[in-house]
Amino acid sequence: MAAMMQSAMPTSEPGYSFSQAPQSVAGGPRQHGFYPYTDNGGTTLGITGSDFAVLAGDTRSTSGYNINSRYAPKLFKIGGTGSANEGARIVLSVVGFAADGNALKERLDTVVKMYKFQHNKEMSVHACAQRLSHILYNKRFFPYYVHAILGGLDENGVGALYSYDPVGSYERETCRSAGAASSLITPFLDNQVNLKNQYDPTSGSGLEKVTKAPQPLSRQTVEELVTDSFTSAAERQIEVGDGLQMFIITKDGIEEKYMELKKD
Amino acid sequence: MFIARSEYDRGINTFSPEGRLFQVEYSLEAIKLGSTAIGIQTSEGVVLGVEKRVTSTLLETSSVEKIVEIDKHIGCAISGLQADSRTLIEHARVTSQSHAFNYAEPLSVESCTQSICDLALRFGEGAEGEESIMSRPFGVALLIGGWDEDGPSLYHAEPSGTFYRYDAKAIGSGSEGAQAELVNEYHKSLTLQEAETLTLRTLKQVMEEKLDAKNVQLSSITKDKGFRIYSDEEMKECVGKLEGN
Repeated sequence: MAAMMQSAMPTSEPGYSFSQAPQSVAGGPRQHGFYPYTDNGGTTLGITGSDFAVLAGDTRSTSGYNINSRYAPKLFKIGGTGSANEGARIVLSVVGFAADGNALKERLDTVVKMYKFQHNKEMSVHACAQRLSHILYNKRFFPYYVHAILGGLDENGVGALYSYDPVGSYERETCRSAGAASSLITPFLDNQVNLKNQYDPTSGSGLEKVTKAPQPLSRQTVEELVTDSFTSAAERQIEVGDGLQMFIITKDGIEEKYMELKKD
Repeated sequence: MFIARSEYDRGINTFSPEGRLFQVEYSLEAIKLGSTAIGIQTSEGVVLGVEKRVTSTLLETSSVEKIVEIDKHIGCAISGLQADSRTLIEHARVTSQSHAFNYAEPLSVESCTQSICDLALRFGEGAEGEESIMSRPFGVALLIGGWDEDGPSLYHAEPSGTFYRYDAKAIGSGSEGAQAELVNEYHKSLTLQEAETLTLRTLKQVMEEKLDAKNVQLSSITKDKGFRIYSDEEMKECVGKLEGN
């Protein structure tokens, strides 16, 4: 999936699907093409802690070398009441093809709201994660072209994060980055969140070295890791930039933070 | 002007001028012909008990199936037309499995009951404009017991599509006497074992035949063991505890 999205280099051609003129050989047959997907760039990131989950995404939307919008959020509150999703406790982030991302958000939001009417209780993230997987798999042969990450708090109040491929395969994780700059951010998170290649400095050398065990991070540390990830990604990835939106989910609700990123 | 009942009791979707749906009311009568079923909720779990009418000494009593499993955590006792209950139970089982498949969590007992009642009303059009799928209302009432995230619960579902939650409930031919007994004897601190005994004692009072281990059936739904139908040995033990048996 990631390879599919990154293999196409940005071109000066418009990114939308109807742009290709029919290819023809003089006097021969004409080949028409219809490409229903566009890669709108951008990156998302999620990290959990012992009593919170943070989801973040840049707000730029691109097609090729063009910028469609400097503020097109990839983060959506799911559930709650009304179109503002008041009281929601679940956040969905989608990166890839923005139209599919929006359609997916609408469907999941409807499902979560209907669930509350039918069962007189809020849907758990666990249940929502399973449902999202089915929604994606139901379009197995014309997929939603998105990499989704779902965040919230589990039944014990611990931060929960579920990441998906476009056809619904999913896994609960402590940390995940997706989208255009995921290849830049992931190794940084491996090192800083999962403490990969970090050793106890008192443990000797060579085979004696003891790896550090990952510990739950504080909310402040996580927020710093997120902003560092995105400012760095915006330096190197042209599809990432403009703004950073962050949703922090705690037992008190969802807090939103926004900061500017490079606009070039 | 007085309008004879017979003019309005055929159409299942037609109100009588007094505002009654006779076919639905008659279906409630069908249940009063059925064998007695009792459900009691305790803090330890729910007990469901039924009388089996053994009409012949040659009848294989194990083939009389009046308590069935809906899911691991939900059980159901039946009174009325047994064949009608098959449709409802099948629907409830599918709903429960589909919920577990879609949401990776067990279906709550209330939602299960609601799904049965949605179907019970399908002699008219469905809630979303679906075609009518039955020619008449169901002639069966259910006692649905289960254990979900909110603990134990017991529901009574009727052919009219209404349902209520009960601490203890009796349905079927002996329901009036049995319900009066339950009202007198029920208290919140009943143990599961006391509820078993109360179920049997109440059934004994309203049954025409003499109660023994063959013509009654008990089951329970608890947190640890889920839904469970009592074996012949357990039935003998429970019946043995009754005074005068």
